[in-house]
Amino acid sequence: MALQPAAGARDLNPLEVEQNRAICATLAEVYRLWGYQAVAPPSFERLDTLQAGGAIDGREVVRLAADDPLGLRPELTASIARAACTRLAARPRPLRLWSEGTTYRSSTGDSGHQRILEQLQSGVELLGEPSAAADVELMRLLLAAAARLGLGPQHRPRLLVGHHGLLTALLAQVPEEQRQAARAALTGFDPLALDRLPLSDPQRQRLSAVMRLRGEPPQVLYGLEQWLGPVPLLGELAATLEAVAPAAARRQVALRLDPTFQPHFALYDGLVLKLVCQGEHGPVEIASGGRYDALVGRFGADPAEAAGVGFGFDVEAVRELVGLPPESAQATAPVLVSYGGQAALAGALDALETLHAQGQCAELLGHPVASRSEAERAAAERGCCRATWIAA
Amino acid sequence: MSAPITVALAKGALLKDAVRRFAAAGLDFAAVLEPGNRQLMVPSVCGRARALLVRNADVPVYVAYGQAQLGVVGYDVLREHQLPVAQLVDLGFGGCRMSVAVKASSPYRRAADLPAHCRIASKFTRCAEAYFAALDLPVELIHLAGSVELGPITGMSEAIVDLVATGRTLEENGLIAIEDLFHSTARLVGHPLALRLDDGSLQAIVDRVAASGGSPARAAAAPALSTS
Repeated sequence: MALQPAAGARDLNPLEVEQNRAICATLAEVYRLWGYQAVAPPSFERLDTLQAGGAIDGREVVRLAADDPLGLRPELTASIARAACTRLAARPRPLRLWSEGTTYRSSTGDSGHQRILEQLQSGVELLGEPSAAADVELMRLLLAAAARLGLGPQHRPRLLVGHHGLLTALLAQVPEEQRQAARAALTGFDPLALDRLPLSDPQRQRLSAVMRLRGEPPQVLYGLEQWLGPVPLLGELAATLEAVAPAAARRQVALRLDPTFQPHFALYDGLVLKLVCQGEHGPVEIASGGRYDALVGRFGADPAEAAGVGFGFDVEAVRELVGLPPESAQATAPVLVSYGGQAALAGALDALETLHAQGQCAELLGHPVASRSEAERAAAERGCCRATWIAA
Repeated sequence: MSAPITVALAKGALLKDAVRRFAAAGLDFAAVLEPGNRQLMVPSVCGRARALLVRNADVPVYVAYGQAQLGVVGYDVLREHQLPVAQLVDLGFGGCRMSVAVKASSPYRRAADLPAHCRIASKFTRCAEAYFAALDLPVELIHLAGSVELGPITGMSEAIVDLVATGRTLEENGLIAIEDLFHSTARLVGHPLALRLDDGSLQAIVDRVAASGGSPARAAAAPALSTS
């Protein structure tokens, strides 16, 4: 019998679980303050829902051996958008929902075998609000949540922002038959693939310059305006980012506009974002998300309300970076309650419950001990803060 | 002060040229070439960067996981391992071909003529699998760790897929290359997210490495050269 868990599976110790819960609780508190309500989407769904109309590669979904084509969720957004368009369709918009839970992603390892990765996520979805106000709210909420987690300048937080529409506008000048390959080269940061495309020299130079264009929003927007002209999207994006910039500056989060940035899943068709911090050995992706109006439309939403934005925090990444959020209660060591003989057991349990009523964590030593000093030794061995001994 | 830039360099044939190109870009890792060097992580002379000395196939792994922001590795390794790294510059050196080879006495002179379900030995089984799949030719792939020329010599396989530089090894073992899958040269690769978060210092090194090779490097004919 195998004694080790399957590769990719999480197998957490009590401290890690405690930390994860504290992080989730901190995030949930922020979400609630912003008016979001908790939902619990299913862990497994029909494959066509999980693949979000082709936005998620079927090879990344862990399939279940079931009569119906079912799989484990690779992310939370598609399930919540589906629920918002069905069971929650009658609720007034905008609909503010949050959820947390495990996601599962499948990949093929170097040996050719399937690998399954478990991740704990916590995030929000804001549905039915097509205006840029939702984009601003999403980013401000992300910044507020990050600050409550204790992410500070020592973690060098950077909020990477892109927009699907920017890339589409930039690629409009590329011949249609080359657009898909050019988009893949730009989002995949592949200048060599760009070099191979049969484009005119001016087109190639323009796209090479686009690939290098990123940084503080005003400069990037100015650069984009030189190429695209004063298109409405640039004005809208400028207004959105201006509404976010003061909050980002206050929390010392660097705002970076990157026109060729796209997240891993192709769910998004508007604003996209990723919060990245500097870990000890490299960049750590803390949260990502964006706008997914088309996905909501595919689930049958009224066209006027086919809108959704959301983000998800990678809880494990947060834990590895910051540990316990600063405002969460530190787990306290329990008091060890012990007793001198069978006759004192009931009294020991009464003492235990008295401590519990005071809010003090306390545990029972399962066997009688002859003296207080022996109880104190047992308490030290178990990492308890002190011992209580009830004589027989 | 910003964290040092980490560069993954492959031990072996590409190392000397890679060190030369980084030296021209202002990062001197010459210590890795010293005969007595046993260190696997070597700081640059300027102290702004460090080199990781790793096996060829491990270069894209260190870069994909973000432990190294840049790396130098052959295109053959990138094609075989398919890791999410950004291919930034074709460095031009370390040129070789990924080829199908058979015994000189073999009647087959085109890959498409090989008999269906024949055995093909290779270290590069993913490249070989993709190539024969594109030919619609079902083959049995045998993974070998080295000395793949012995496959046809011993009769274990009909053909091999392997890197060919000068062709001397093939010739001395009585084999001939009959078709090329692709041409391979060394590539400068980077961690995509590190490049997106770069304050300009990483891109400056990439540009200097690209410029140190003379005219701006263009990608070699990366797709399959011939599948007919």
